[in-house]
Amino acid sequence: MKHGKEEKTTVLSFSNPVKSRLGGETITRCYQCGTCASSCPVAKINPQFNPREIIKLSLLGEEAEVISSDAVWLCCSCYNCQERCPQKVEIADVIYALRNIAFEEQHSPDIYLEFASALMNNGRLIPISKFLEKKRPDYGLPPLQPTGVEALKKILSAIGLGGQSQKEEAK
Amino acid sequence: MEEVEVGVFLSDCGKQLSKILDFNALTNYVEKISNVTLVKRDSEFWRGEGLQTIVDAVTSGKINRIVVAESLPKLSEVNIVQAVENAGLNPYLVEVIDLKDHCAWPHRETPREATEKAKAMLVAAIERAKLLEPIEKLEFPALKSALVIGGGIAGMQAAVDLADLGFKVNLVEKAPFLGGLAARAGRFFPTDDCAICIQSPASDVKTITHTSRKCVYRSGFSEIPNLNILTNSKVTDVEGGPGNYKVTIEKRPRYVNELKCVRCDLCTPVCPVEVPDEYNAKLKTRKAIYMNIPNVHPPVYVIDDSVCKFRGCAKCVEACPTDAIELDQKSEQVTLNVGSIIVATGFQEFDSSIIKEYHYGDYSDIITHLELARMIDGFGPTGSVIIRPSNRKPAKKIVMIQCVGSRDRRWNAYCSGICCMISLKHAMLVKTAYPNADVTICYIDIRTTGREHERYYERAREMGIKFVKGRPTEILRDPKTNKLIVDVEDALLKRFLELEADLVVLASAMMPAEGTGELAEILGLELDEDGFFKEYNAKLRPTETKLRGIYLCGGATFPKDAPTTSLHAHSAAMKAAKFLTTGKIVKDQRTAIINEEYCGDCEFCPVTCPYGAISLVPTTEEHFVAQVSDLLCEGCGVCVGTCPLNAIELRHSRPNQMLVQMKALMSVNGTSKPLVLAICCSECGHTAVDSSGMAMMQYPANVRVMKVPCTGILQVHQFLEAFKAGAQGVMVVACKSDGCHYEVGSQKAETKVELARTLLKEYGIEPERLVMFGMVFIEGDKFAEAAHVMTERLAKLGPLQMKGEA
Repeated sequence: MKHGKEEKTTVLSFSNPVKSRLGGETITRCYQCGTCASSCPVAKINPQFNPREIIKLSLLGEEAEVISSDAVWLCCSCYNCQERCPQKVEIADVIYALRNIAFEEQHSPDIYLEFASALMNNGRLIPISKFLEKKRPDYGLPPLQPTGVEALKKILSAIGLGGQSQKEEAK
Repeated sequence: MEEVEVGVFLSDCGKQLSKILDFNALTNYVEKISNVTLVKRDSEFWRGEGLQTIVDAVTSGKINRIVVAESLPKLSEVNIVQAVENAGLNPYLVEVIDLKDHCAWPHRETPREATEKAKAMLVAAIERAKLLEPIEKLEFPALKSALVIGGGIAGMQAAVDLADLGFKVNLVEKAPFLGGLAARAGRFFPTDDCAICIQSPASDVKTITHTSRKCVYRSGFSEIPNLNILTNSKVTDVEGGPGNYKVTIEKRPRYVNELKCVRCDLCTPVCPVEVPDEYNAKLKTRKAIYMNIPNVHPPVYVIDDSVCKFRGCAKCVEACPTDAIELDQKSEQVTLNVGSIIVATGFQEFDSSIIKEYHYGDYSDIITHLELARMIDGFGPTGSVIIRPSNRKPAKKIVMIQCVGSRDRRWNAYCSGICCMISLKHAMLVKTAYPNADVTICYIDIRTTGREHERYYERAREMGIKFVKGRPTEILRDPKTNKLIVDVEDALLKRFLELEADLVVLASAMMPAEGTGELAEILGLELDEDGFFKEYNAKLRPTETKLRGIYLCGGATFPKDAPTTSLHAHSAAMKAAKFLTTGKIVKDQRTAIINEEYCGDCEFCPVTCPYGAISLVPTTEEHFVAQVSDLLCEGCGVCVGTCPLNAIELRHSRPNQMLVQMKALMSVNGTSKPLVLAICCSECGHTAVDSSGMAMMQYPANVRVMKVPCTGILQVHQFLEAFKAGAQGVMVVACKSDGCHYEVGSQKAETKVELARTLLKEYGIEPERLVMFGMVFIEGDKFAEAAHVMTERLAKLGPLQMKGEA
């Protein structure tokens, strides 16, 4: 048999990038037993989310369907599934890997972008009003310290978050 | 010393080879080599007149070393060597080489170069032949008796086979009764008949037919004249070697005389001690004096000494009409001498209580299939009624869960293989007895791969058994109703189900039997990564181990169903019989030999030897020297490669033999290309070279092949010697590292090659001049390609220049 150059296969076109990402390494172990789904508190109340289905679609190369839908963002990270998976698929971590891909591909629910720009601008996820700030000594709390937002901005843009939040601002 | 006189016999394969090789030139060349006294050319030498020529030359005393150039040497050598031996010459003084597949065919496009290579090959063979030494055939006595460890269906069937063939057989069973898991399982798929039947022994003259199978208790199994059954016994030590094992067995007291007990059952009613009966899933109690089920063997009661009050009670002694009860029995040590050992220790159920979310052990209505089997068995604790253990009321809704602890990386990564069929069997047996029962099987994949097995699955669907594709996450219990709730997703419907159940049955994984590791240590056997006994070769020698005389069968190597277990047991018995049948082991002395003067008790070789053939023995000077067992040594040479003091040699592949071969192969080039020495192991590596020639794949004639028993024999300095002898590049061609015929040889060679490459840099030699490959026979193309790549690489690198050489 001649060993030709490695051809890209359509079936693995998506599971390979997931596998090579932090958290996504174990995805191909999945044999679809559904332990994750029946362990999942979200799946039982929200038919949009089913971890078994997300993994199956990823393994079949349905990249667009996986990263453009809201499903991957619905995981509540309780890690029940990961605890019970008989194949030791790190399901919650796989979902983080998928979220990272989705984010890079500019698919993320608006709320996450709002968080991101708040962080980028103020160094805090939730803005604190002047009123609240004045109240702090009454509760015996020290005055707020600067957040070091400039350093944070550097870090966030180094990991590629800058572009996303700027896009949000442009909106 | 007798003068060495070499006869050289050149076959031109019916003039096929003379179209490429110049045989006149070869003959002239060979004739001039010292000690060559006879050179003959013919169309073939491995049979007929050609072979007679060799025989005549031997008989006339003209020659005492033989070199034959013949095609397909791996085939023809068998005939030639046999004929030479019959003619009175030691057969190990013959060297056969292949001028066709190793020279003419792969170099047919460059005939002149091929002829020059043929010269080098002939010189190498002749020089090696001159140094060959006679090797003796050794005979070791073997006892015509066997030990079978484990009295389940595997052990019993193997024992029957060997006993029928006339061997003395000792069957040792750890439990007080024979039958193993089979006796507990009650019924077997795919026939649904009872599990505890075996083939009838030949000694059962009254009812034997060639199709006969019978319950153990009525088969006459225990009455086979040359079968010694030891129940309640355990192997504690094994000494000696193949053909002569000395086995120590601890026989625990039964407290009931097997010859006196008449199974009248007067003892159990008077026994005041009552304990849960583990054998029967704790669904009933038993007394301190008991039998598991009525149809077991031996049909003799046993006293559980962990609970019996002995002399403080002794009511059974009074009740026994035959004085069979002997409370003073003590453990005894039994010593047996056997020629061969069969390990048939089987498997056991995984302890599912480890999987907390399934609550096995917490909720009594969650049971395993082995426990359900006891309920189904008419001899069982419930008399074939399927009950809920918590309230002993009939169970109407039953949920079975597959793959509990198997296909699970947290516990046992493998598929136990038989649980799907067990669940189907039990589901159908329940459904047959209770057609209104609601039976659901939760599965990941249903695996029904045996003959008739798929039909079994179909029948289950016909009977209305429900299947849910999904592995439940948890089993809950409703505290109000006491019902169990199985939380599962039906993945096909993408629907979450909460299955209500009276009884949940877990298809627990099947694991190596308790004590497997301990026994492996006693016998010196290896276990696989899952903890089962490891066979010698899964493909071709599934019941053999690397230790001669020790065989494996049944669930000891992996969980098995009854048909496969039988197959395995008969195979192991066959192998043991083949080994024992002559009463001796004949083995030649192609083994390692120690130079005690050099040996420096470093302990490297005894640890490295894959066969445990080397031991350290004390000498008078208070140090140890290595000693090789000619019986255990397989002649691979891994010890030679490991010895830091060059204190070990192989009788059939001495360092000086290898060195002259190396030098000779490099003595003639005849091509314009840099010489490459390909050191091939005699197993897969050398056959890969054969296959490239057979397929007429072309590679340059500057590549010269040298055969060694196993690449594990190679030492780092030998690579340097090859370069010194004139090689510009060295290829090491071995079996793939996980497919070495001697287990570790290829791996050892890989380490040596790595080390040598580092060393080469010190000598100013480019490390890429030394490369190792793993190949199998069918990869001739890989060899040809590697030869091309190596030649091109060397051409680019230019001539070899060693530091310190002008």
